[in-house]
Formats: sequence, structure tokens, C-alpha cells
Amino acid sequence: MHDEPLLEVRNLTVNLLTAKSAVRPVDGVSYSVRQGECLAIVGESGSGKTVMNFAPLGLMPTGVTTMLSGSVKLEGRELIGLPEAEIQKLRGKSVGFIFQDPMSALNPVRRIGRQIAEMAELHLDVTPRAAEARALELVKLVGISDPVARLRQYPHELSGGLRQRIVIAIALAGEPKLLIADEPTTALDVTVQAQILRLLKDVQRRLNMAMVLITHDMGVVAGAADNIVVMYAARAAECGPVDKVLVSPRHPYTQGLINAIPRREDPIGSEFRGLPGIPPTLGAPIKGCALAPRCELAVPACSNSRPPLVRSDDSAVLVACPVVNQGKAAA
Amino acid sequence: MIHFISKRLKHSLVLLFMASLVCFTLVVSAPGNVAVLIAELRGAVATPGYVEQVAEEIGLHKPLLMRYVDWLGDAVRGDFGISYRTGTNVSADLANRMFVTGTLIAGSAVIATLISLALGFLGAFWPYKLPDRVSRGLALLGASTPTFFVGALMIYAFSVTFQLLPSFGFNGPKSWILPWLTVAVLPAAVLSRVVRVGLEEAMTSPFVLTAKSKGLGRTAILFREALPNITPLFINALGTQVGLMTATAIIVEPLFAWQGLGDYFLAGVRFRDFMVVQACLLIFLTFFIVVNLIVDLAVLLTDPRIRRQWS
Ligand SMILES: Nc1ncnc2c1ncn2[C@@H]1O[C@H](COP(=O)(O)OP(=O)(O)OP(=O)(O)O)[C@@H](O)[C@H]1O
Ligand code: SF4
Ligand SMILES: [Mg+2]
Repeated sequence: MHDEPLLEVRNLTVNLLTAKSAVRPVDGVSYSVRQGECLAIVGESGSGKTVMNFAPLGLMPTGVTTMLSGSVKLEGRELIGLPEAEIQKLRGKSVGFIFQDPMSALNPVRRIGRQIAEMAELHLDVTPRAAEARALELVKLVGISDPVARLRQYPHELSGGLRQRIVIAIALAGEPKLLIADEPTTALDVTVQAQILRLLKDVQRRLNMAMVLITHDMGVVAGAADNIVVMYAARAAECGPVDKVLVSPRHPYTQGLINAIPRREDPIGSEFRGLPGIPPTLGAPIKGCALAPRCELAVPACSNSRPPLVRSDDSAVLVACPVVNQGKAAA
Repeated sequence: MIHFISKRLKHSLVLLFMASLVCFTLVVSAPGNVAVLIAELRGAVATPGYVEQVAEEIGLHKPLLMRYVDWLGDAVRGDFGISYRTGTNVSADLANRMFVTGTLIAGSAVIATLISLALGFLGAFWPYKLPDRVSRGLALLGASTPTFFVGALMIYAFSVTFQLLPSFGFNGPKSWILPWLTVAVLPAAVLSRVVRVGLEEAMTSPFVLTAKSKGLGRTAILFREALPNITPLFINALGTQVGLMTATAIIVEPLFAWQGLGDYFLAGVRFRDFMVVQACLLIFLTFFIVVNLIVDLAVLLTDPRIRRQWS
């Protein structure tokens, strides 16, 4: 069954209940990732990218009640409805995670070597000594110089880039099949961002893992991903192969995103070309298209019913906008 | 690191010096003529001539600075002079009494640590559930019950009703248990909250999400990730509580008829025996300063971030 995706998400909806609020940060989203593939998920801050990937694996902060519906299959196994004890076994072992802020992702009072070796002990069933050796291997793999000394250090003794390499080493330690990287370069210096991205891409290819790469950065998408899902207000607006979506974006929101990327020929100080307006709040589910108030192409019908994500004129690209889809079809 | 330690040692020495000034001032400004007190103590009729002779002997006529230097020199060598009341050498009494109070504080500190860790973990493991509520209730009770009352309850329960443990005296471990428990109740209550709140806060840190993403379970995260993070905080709070135990000893030692420093100090105050009060006070203050020094060094050992600041 080589054709079966490693991760297959169908119609995933996430409701979050806290003492103060109820929100639906993910509303009927579908996508899939195959072994060896990299899927980019882009979208504005608050569009639900993190929740969508973390909630099904039980990684929500305490104090939030998470309600999931739809289907999330990892290697054919349904995660929704699986008891937490079973999901815990998958974390680290089948899925490795990389976080946005390497400054706070590591425990400040534990040695780096321990924080990596612990993973090997937990998932690879090896002796503590072998786990230490594995930690050393991993630190070398993620391209850290003077690895022996690094293992004995504490997180605050390392730079942000080095710490993110350590976080990557931890994520790789359990030999997972899927890597979920949540804005892995956002918190880093610009010069370091490219290095970390190259490293991620490199290990993903070498270890033939699947990777979900959450990002704001279209440059990152172009350089690293095979496929892309564009999120807007808890829903997928468009998805398809990166080379197609970036070159000829169809959905008005995707067009806006790509249009907003500064170009070289822009005069210095020229106006920012973002979409006008602000994204909606996620309190109540939106009846029509979430983009309607900000969309230039909007017609009255847009506010009536939610546009489904369907094949566009290119069958590899799915777009949730009837106006665009019909326009193309008619043309 | 060496820099930190030497700086911290200097700091402690300055504090010790200030403590000695306080103690010296206390005796100098004591009401009544010391020479008369001593003369009477020696059983002689306090004729002006004899009083004058005593004053000469103990150096009352020397300038204040000289007297301070003399006194400090003696104190450093462990000579705290003669008790006005009993005429015995204060230092001879001190050795025994320091052992008694040391036993009290050391045992209570260990018990308070164990109880507070147990209660705090119980609460952090089942937050807002029954174990947490019980632990919180016990902490509230322990922190709001006066120590002498706790002691009386202990005696009533364990000595009078069940006759399990002796209610007084310092005769081996069995007789130590009730005083230990009595002194430990308040610090255990306070520290259990430090543990509980510290753990809860640590459990909301971003690195706990990382730990969870590694596949660690809640117990492992509490012990491996959260506990090392609250250790410096706990050591600090424990240090404060151990320092305060000297004050509790003053209440608890007489209650159990222990002849420790607290009991000695209380008697000294009651009979205006300033040499005794002064010696006890100096020991208490020194203890405070040393405990704080140890706390700072221990925090340095348990928190690599602070270690780095000073390296
Ligand atoms: N712990 C939480 N408690 C309550 N609501 C939450 C929580 N986490 C997320 N949300 C809600 O879910 C929405 C989506 O959050 P999410 O973190 O997935 O966005 P994101 O797309 O990852 O944004 P960013 O790019 O800023 O990381 C938020 O707008 C917020 O309303
Ligand atoms: S459905 Fe309507 S509002 Fe939504 S993107 Fe398409 S045109 Fe714009
Ligand atoms: Mg996010």
C-alpha cells in the first residue's frame, strides 16, 4: 500500500472550550501527506494552523477542552477517538515535533544531552549508555560542531540557531515517520533561518520522512514544500502542488497573500500590498465565505453558503471559491 | 562562580559583623549596673569599693570600642562570659544546648521537606481534584494553627490518649518525634504550597509541551521536567523556614522540657540574664546568616542559569 498517505486528514473540525470562550479554530479541513513529501501550511496568525496539527495529537495546553470531529488517520490508524494513553505512545515515536520558539522549548535546568538521550531511551528500547551514544550521533547529524561538549551544556548556553538544531535532534531521536514543524524559523535570525530550513529539508529527504511545515513565509514554501494548504479563518481556501499554487494562485486570498510578498522592483518605501481589512474572529462559525467582507470579487451569493473546496480548472488544485471556479470554467 | 562565592562570603562576613554590633549594644545598654549584679552574684556585700573592683576587673572603665574588641575576641573564641544568674560559664551551657536545638531543627527540616513534597505533588498530580483539596485544606490548617497549640494537641493525642510517645525530655529518637512534628507543621504547610504552586506554574511552561511531544507521561514530566525547575525556589523557601525555626524553638523547647537554646534564651530574657540573651542572640543571627549562605550556594548548584550569570 505505497499509495496510501502517511497522514490523511478528512473534514477535521476542532472546537476549543475554555472557561471564558468557545472557538472553532479548525472548520472542516482536509489534506494529506505521503511518505517523503513536504506539505506547507500557510495562513495568517490565528487561522488555526497550530491547533489543526497539534490538537489531534493531544498537544493542547491544559485548561482547554478540545473537541475533535472528522477523521485523522496516521498510517491508516484513526486518531480521533483514540484514548490519550495510545496517542501518547505515538508522540515522539511516530511523530516528531519542532516548535516555533527554541528559546523556550527546552528545559532550562536540564543538560542538553539528557534531553535528547531521554527520547532514545523512551522510544528505541536501548540502554542509557546506548542512548547517550545515539544523542551524540543526532547532534552530529543536525550539524552541531563540538558535539561532545554541547551535550554537557544547558540550553541558555547556546544560540537560538543551535537550540533549534537541538530541538530538531530531539524530534528525530525517536525515528519518527512524520515531522510536524510549527514555524521552525520564525523566531530565528534571518541569517540562521535559511540554515535551519536547509537542515530540515535535508534530514527529511535523507530519512525519507513526511513533513508538515507550518509557516508564514512564502519563500520557505517555495524552497521546501511539495504541496501547500492555504488557510483562512479556520478553513482551507486553496490547496495543491506548490509550483502550481504559487505560480498561478486562484483563490482571491491566495492571490492577496502572494501579491503581498515584497518584490525586488518595488521602490523603497512603497506601500504594503496586503489584503485590506482584518480576518474574522472565530467565535461563531461563519455562514458564507469567510473572506467575503475583504474580497474584491465577492458577489451577494458569497455570504449565503460556505463555498466547498473543489477541483478547479487544474484538477490537482482545489479551490474554495465558486466565483473563481465558475469563471475559469466559463472562460 | 569563584567570584560569586567570594562576593557572597564577604557579604556574610559584613552581616556577621553587624549582628555582633547588635548583640554588643544590647548588653551595653542593659539597665542596671553590671558590676553590682556580678558583685551580688559572687555573694559578697556590694560595697562601693568591691563594686569598683569588679568594674575594674571586667573592664567597665575602658572605652566602648576597646570593650567591643575584647568582647568580640572572646566570643569568636567561644567565650561568652559568665551568666549573671547562675554564675556558670555561658559557653559550657551552650555546647549541650546547641546540640539539642540542632537536633530539633535538623529533624524538623527533614520532616517538613518530606511532608511538603508529598502534599505538593499530590496536589499537582490531581489539580483541583480531591487529593489537591485535601492537601490544600491540610496546608491551611497547618499554617493557621498556633505552634504551642499543635504541640499540646500532639501531646494529648500521642502521649496522653494513645501513650505511644513520651511527652517530654530529650532521651533518644523516640522522644524527638513529637517536638520534630510540632516544629515541622507550619513549615510543611507553607512549603507544600510552594511546591504545589511552583509545580503548576512549571507545568504551564513551553518546555512541558516539548516534553509531552516527546511522549513522556504526566508523572515523568512532573518529576523530570517540573521538579528540577522548582528546586531553587524550594531551597530558598526552605532556608527561610529553617531560619524561622529558631523562633519556633523558643516556644516548643519549654513545652517539651528540652534544654535547648530556645529554652535558654527564654530563661535569659525572663531573668534579665543579658550574657545568656546576648550569646543566644548571636548564635541565632549567625545561624540565620549561615543558612542564607548555604541557600545561595545550593541555588547556585541547582540553577545553571544563575551559575552562568556569575561565571
Ligand atoms: N489555548 C487556547 N485557548 C483558547 N483558544 C485558543 C487556544 N489556542 C488557540 N486558540 C484559538 O485558536 C485560534 C487559532 O490558533 P492557532 O494557534 O492554531 O493559530 P495559528 O494559525 O497557528 O497562528 P500563529 O501563526 O499565530 O501561530 C486562535 O485564534 C485562538 O482563538
Ligand atoms: S467565495 Fe466569494 S467572497 Fe469567497 S473568495 Fe470567492 S469570491 Fe471571494
Ligand atoms: Mg501557530
